[in-house]
Amino acid sequence: MFKKNIGIKISTIILVSLFSLQAFAQAWTIPAELKAKTSYIPFTSSTSKEGEDTYTKNCMSCHGNPGKGNSMKALNPIPPDLAGKVTQQRTDGDLFYIITTGRGVMPSFKDVFPEQERWKLISYIRSFNRQYVQVLSTFNPQKAKLVKFDITYNAVNHLVRVAVKATEKTGMVVLKNDSVDIYAKRYFGRLQFDNGMITDKDGIAYFKFPTDLPGDKAGNVEVIARVTDDNYGEVTYQTRMKIGVPTDKPGLTEQRAIWNVVSKSPIWLVVVFTSGILFLGLFLLYIGFSLWKIRKIGTL
Amino acid sequence: MLDPTRIDKITSDLLRPIRINNAFKLWMTVLIVALVICLYAYTLQLKNGLGVAGIRDYVSWGMYISNFVFFVATSLIGMLISAVLGLSGVKWAAPLARIAEIIALAFAMVAGLVIVSDMGRPDRLLYVIIHGRIQSPIVWDITVVSTYVIISALLLYLPLIPDLKICADKLEKAPKIQRDIYKILSLNWNGSPEQQKIISQATRALAIFIIPIALAIHTVTSWLFANTSRAGWDSTVFGPYFVSGAFVCGSAAVIIAMYFYRYNYKLQDYITDSHFDNMGKLLVLVSVVYIYFNLNEYMVPYYKMKKFEAIGIHELFSGVHAFLFWSTQILGLVLPTILLLFKGMRKPFPMMIIGIFVLVGGWFKRYIIVVPPQEHPYLPIQNVPMNFKIYTPTLTEILITVAPFILVLMIITILSKVIPIVSIHETLEEEIENPKPLKGM
Repeated sequence: MFKKNIGIKISTIILVSLFSLQAFAQAWTIPAELKAKTSYIPFTSSTSKEGEDTYTKNCMSCHGNPGKGNSMKALNPIPPDLAGKVTQQRTDGDLFYIITTGRGVMPSFKDVFPEQERWKLISYIRSFNRQYVQVLSTFNPQKAKLVKFDITYNAVNHLVRVAVKATEKTGMVVLKNDSVDIYAKRYFGRLQFDNGMITDKDGIAYFKFPTDLPGDKAGNVEVIARVTDDNYGEVTYQTRMKIGVPTDKPGLTEQRAIWNVVSKSPIWLVVVFTSGILFLGLFLLYIGFSLWKIRKIGTL
Repeated sequence: MLDPTRIDKITSDLLRPIRINNAFKLWMTVLIVALVICLYAYTLQLKNGLGVAGIRDYVSWGMYISNFVFFVATSLIGMLISAVLGLSGVKWAAPLARIAEIIALAFAMVAGLVIVSDMGRPDRLLYVIIHGRIQSPIVWDITVVSTYVIISALLLYLPLIPDLKICADKLEKAPKIQRDIYKILSLNWNGSPEQQKIISQATRALAIFIIPIALAIHTVTSWLFANTSRAGWDSTVFGPYFVSGAFVCGSAAVIIAMYFYRYNYKLQDYITDSHFDNMGKLLVLVSVVYIYFNLNEYMVPYYKMKKFEAIGIHELFSGVHAFLFWSTQILGLVLPTILLLFKGMRKPFPMMIIGIFVLVGGWFKRYIIVVPPQEHPYLPIQNVPMNFKIYTPTLTEILITVAPFILVLMIITILSKVIPIVSIHETLEEEIENPKPLKGM
């Protein structure tokens, strides 16, 4: 009886895990060329440490501590323990693709972390796998420095024109058929405009720009452009452009408010509080004076 | 005029307890030993941090803050008896005013220390004042509680001045230094009409002023909870709910104190059965008001059962806190109220027992208000050890919680050994206005 039960249990566990493994494995369809993608950053203990910081702030709330099996079980699918077999059997390219694009409850980190930071995260994940041997990409990150952006704005048709070129020793190279995105810098993260575009044969892409975007007092907006190219990698460029609506609103912490520092507390509160204290002081003076009078009458 | 023998009788009756006897020494020794044990527990907390207590990130206000609320609550009785009843001309309550004031002063003074026991870095206490924001209810609380301590002390002292003169004159056996202190504090009292007039005016002003202050201390204490948007605390009725509950605790404390003074100090002629009868009726009145606020506080969220309130309501009504909740409400509030409706129960001994039930129930009621709502925050509790999810007080924490009670008992004991517990001056005046034969005369 006991043995039979164990048998049923074991076969159920095997069946269930096979099924779930299969379901999970089927879930990600990663193009072959991206699967083979590898990092150009050598994974060292220092990259792993940087990756850990990023992991703790952004990933741990769902994936838990790697190796501890304490990922957030309430989610569907359950986020895998990243030190586990399922994750470690994937290629670096797989992991990079999953972090970059996301799916379902797994968010896309494409616009959150630059490429380098995503590789450092993978460096951290790989630090839990002793068998792992890194295959370095032959890509030279120094080439990114050659890329030049030219961003202009046409106020008539509200189009932002982004032209991307690389200044090789042999002369100018136009970056054509590359994906380009543009963003405005915000307090937290970036705000993307229009959709991602592909540069034309002249290395140029056009983006529709909103007419109601608030800028600073002078209407300045920090515009960030990003291009992804096979030869030059992921390159971003930031510039200040006077294309927003001039806005001069006092910040939330500049006004008097209940949540602000004491020097900016609401006037009514200052009045009520200080008059309360003042009244108390006067009242105590009155009581003190009464006691003094009693004593004086007694000595007469 | 009053018969001089009667004056002597009243004076000597009320002054008799003011002496150091063996019972006092024994009692104080017990208190000091207990306090030393509790202070040792506190040194452990100072050395190792608040982690020695059961409080963690989620339930960060445990027994200490429940205790603080209880102490502030109990101290409110001074205002009810000496100010509200005094100003409205309720004569029977006059001999109890000093007992109520002593209780108020002792509990209010110690309430501040209770807060310090909940601080991880008590050496930074001054920062609360230096860097405090007047927008914060914590700063309001510090302001009003310290004001209440000052006003309560004055309300105890002013009516005491004539008695201090009597003490200085009559307590011939007392040490010289003690008599000198009486003399200085009695401010050359000679009972002249001018002095009488000033003192009655000032006392009246104090009695009026203490009413809003007392209401403020407990309303502000309730705002420490109600001003946060946490299911279970987020309630508009918390102010009056706390104030009404405070009168219940305070009345019970006064009843217990009355019982012990009456029998230990042989004050049967001054704290009479009719005082107990009236205090019993007063306790019924304040309890009924408190039951009404309880009904409001639990009935309204129970009827709506909003998602997050419902979790807390279930935990209290039928979950892990159900036993504590129902026994507190029934044994500490509803049953005492029903029992006190019967005249036979408003006798000294049964009332003292009922008073203990009400007071203990009052403490656990604060625990129920403070702790359970913290166990169910809006954001889910994730990836934490078990002791973060369920609050369990530690022995060290319990000892540190007991310490303030010992301090209160010490303050009350010492005060009642140096000043007459029933006003001699007022008893004599009452006798002149309303002569009635005392027993044994």
